[in-house]
Amino acid sequence: MCGVDYLGSYRLLGLLLILGAAFFTVAFTANRLLSRRAPSAGKNATYECGIDPVGGDWAQAQVRYYVYAYLYVLFAVESVFLFPWAVTYALDGFGMVTVVEMAIFVAVLALGLLYAWRKRVLSWT
Amino acid sequence: MTFKLPAIDYLALAPMLVLFGAACAGVLVDALVPREWRYHVQVPLSLVALLASGGFVVALANRKEHVVTAGSAVVIDGPGLFLQGSIVVLGIVALFLVAERRLEPGGAFVAQAAVVAGSEADRKQMRKPGVTEVYPMMLFALAGMMLFCSANDLLTMFVALEVFSLPLYLLCALARRRRLLSQEAAVKYFLLGAFASAFFLYGVAMIYGYAGKVDFRGINEAVLGSSNSKTLLLIGLAMLAIGLLFKVAAVPFHVWTPDVYQGAPTPITAFMAACTKVAAFGGLLRVLYVAFERSSWDFRPTLGVIAAATMIVGAVLAVTQTDIKRLLAYSSVANAGYLLTGTLSMNRDGLKYTMFYLVAYGFTVLAAFAIVMLVRDSDGEATHLARWAGLGRRSPVFASLFTFLMLAFAGIPLTSGFTAKFGVFAAAVGGNMTWLVIIGVLSSMILAFPYLRVVVLMWLSVPGDDTPTVSVPGAFTAAALFVGVAMTLVLGVAPNQALELVNDAGAFLR
Amino acid sequence: MDPSYYIVLSAALFTIGAVGVLIRRNAIVVFMCIELMLNAANLALITFSRMNGSLDGQIMAFFVMVVAAAEVVIGLAIIMSIFRTRRSASVDDANLLKY
Repeated sequence: MCGVDYLGSYRLLGLLLILGAAFFTVAFTANRLLSRRAPSAGKNATYECGIDPVGGDWAQAQVRYYVYAYLYVLFAVESVFLFPWAVTYALDGFGMVTVVEMAIFVAVLALGLLYAWRKRVLSWT
Repeated sequence: MTFKLPAIDYLALAPMLVLFGAACAGVLVDALVPREWRYHVQVPLSLVALLASGGFVVALANRKEHVVTAGSAVVIDGPGLFLQGSIVVLGIVALFLVAERRLEPGGAFVAQAAVVAGSEADRKQMRKPGVTEVYPMMLFALAGMMLFCSANDLLTMFVALEVFSLPLYLLCALARRRRLLSQEAAVKYFLLGAFASAFFLYGVAMIYGYAGKVDFRGINEAVLGSSNSKTLLLIGLAMLAIGLLFKVAAVPFHVWTPDVYQGAPTPITAFMAACTKVAAFGGLLRVLYVAFERSSWDFRPTLGVIAAATMIVGAVLAVTQTDIKRLLAYSSVANAGYLLTGTLSMNRDGLKYTMFYLVAYGFTVLAAFAIVMLVRDSDGEATHLARWAGLGRRSPVFASLFTFLMLAFAGIPLTSGFTAKFGVFAAAVGGNMTWLVIIGVLSSMILAFPYLRVVVLMWLSVPGDDTPTVSVPGAFTAAALFVGVAMTLVLGVAPNQALELVNDAGAFLR
Repeated sequence: MDPSYYIVLSAALFTIGAVGVLIRRNAIVVFMCIELMLNAANLALITFSRMNGSLDGQIMAFFVMVVAAAEVVIGLAIIMSIFRTRRSASVDDANLLKY
């Protein structure tokens, strides 16, 4: 029966998963059972280098990388033209012309990247 | 399935390719050339590119060979070339206004747009030279406008629409003074513009569903022969029209116009008022005359009502304005109505005189905004109308020029405004749209009032302490002003040459 | 399955987007609604491409995606610059220009 054989190769993986889950459960249950518990407000406070925490926890994150995100969106999406091109450029009658055209397209994209680099938006400030 | 490489006639595309190439070179200049040299490289570069592009347009017009190229994506025909040529010429004049740095140290544009408005850093950069990215952005926008006028399918049209819109959104946000207003104008323009282009795109999808094609010839054939439901065609046409009418600022899609015209830097406002109008009407003309000519019974009544509403609302709201830039914005809305009247006549004359009107209006509005740029006090341009009181005694020359331009807007004989308005109204009568002409004439009478009010204000009031001075224009603004006023006069007194040109342009190639 | 269901879905998405643009107050959300409209158009294009048996619609969807990405970047840059000054992305707060 090839079906059993097929599943058989996963037996080890399944065993590993069960073992992993069991280890996790046993360790945490043991911890629960053995440790002493004395909850206090101080223990729930945010740890801030030992100093009393100040202000709320809804802080605004610094989005230094947003320019990267913009660039990424553009470059990732522009690549959509590469795929149809990759299928057709080897066909009869396409050849060099299409390669040059795609080179120009990529060069224009590279120009954008060059501009971004020279304007120092690629450096972490 | 077999694919064929589409043949490309590079000469036919040269006017646009030159501009795109120069725009890329401009980006390169901005990346590599030292800051203090950029302005001195960018301005000649843009100017040379525009002149070369214009040269190619003239060469193509002399070739008299009309082609469909790039796999039927682009068509180069008489009207298309005329529109491209006018975009280039108006673009050069607008470039003069953008390049002006005498009136204000550093020019009308902010030095660094990313600096928070009103912050300490913002005050520091007040006297630094403005960004030079405006020149490549202008070239991109101009090239996109030219492509928009000569696109032969709806997809190319959509891409061209975005290519010229996106730089404009950014240019609006770059004013040196009143940056909050400028940014607000950009946000409003952007959100509404993107909304409208989404409608345009959905219209394209519906038309594609109806016709199975998006090139204008295919749509034109499908209007007669398609077996698909006509509902798709009508929905598609309506949504397409929403997108286009937004760009031409027709009522009820005009609400962005006054805000954006007021908030944007004045040279950019002039650029939008002149060049965007040409491009948007060029695209509208081609869509209606080439693709949907056979369904003109379906759209003429609706668009007629829109044209009437545009003329009336534009004229009435212009009366109530207190800011000169907003006044000119509403006048631009009303003028979109007159242009629509010409467009809807759906005959040769309609095409001819609409194109003539576009050029005539473009020159006049550029000159008018050039003067708006000159009237300033220590706080930048003084655009409130109350401040213009008594300007005639302070500076009779500029007040006379502005009076002349206002008379041209009002359509007084011997100005280009009269010739153009007469032309589109005559064409509309010929196209059985007489009711629209009656409304047009009535609204012209209303519209004359705000123009004349400005004239009266300038000449018959006594200048007060806070009447601003009229700055001496730099060479660039002076050139733009001269060209604008001269063309307004020439097209009014001796319009034959220009009319011959639009006549020779012939009809759209299908 | 009948492909016309997809047209109905696309129309529904487009309507949701259009209504969202009109009623939402946050510029970012308004902008997301516009993207929803563009994607609804994409869905319609691809469905019609299937129904018509031509590839044009799919190619158009590619172009629309790219144009939409460019629009996203420009739009976010503009909204960002106004947000940094005003600390608000509400379209109701942008009210200096009127009358």
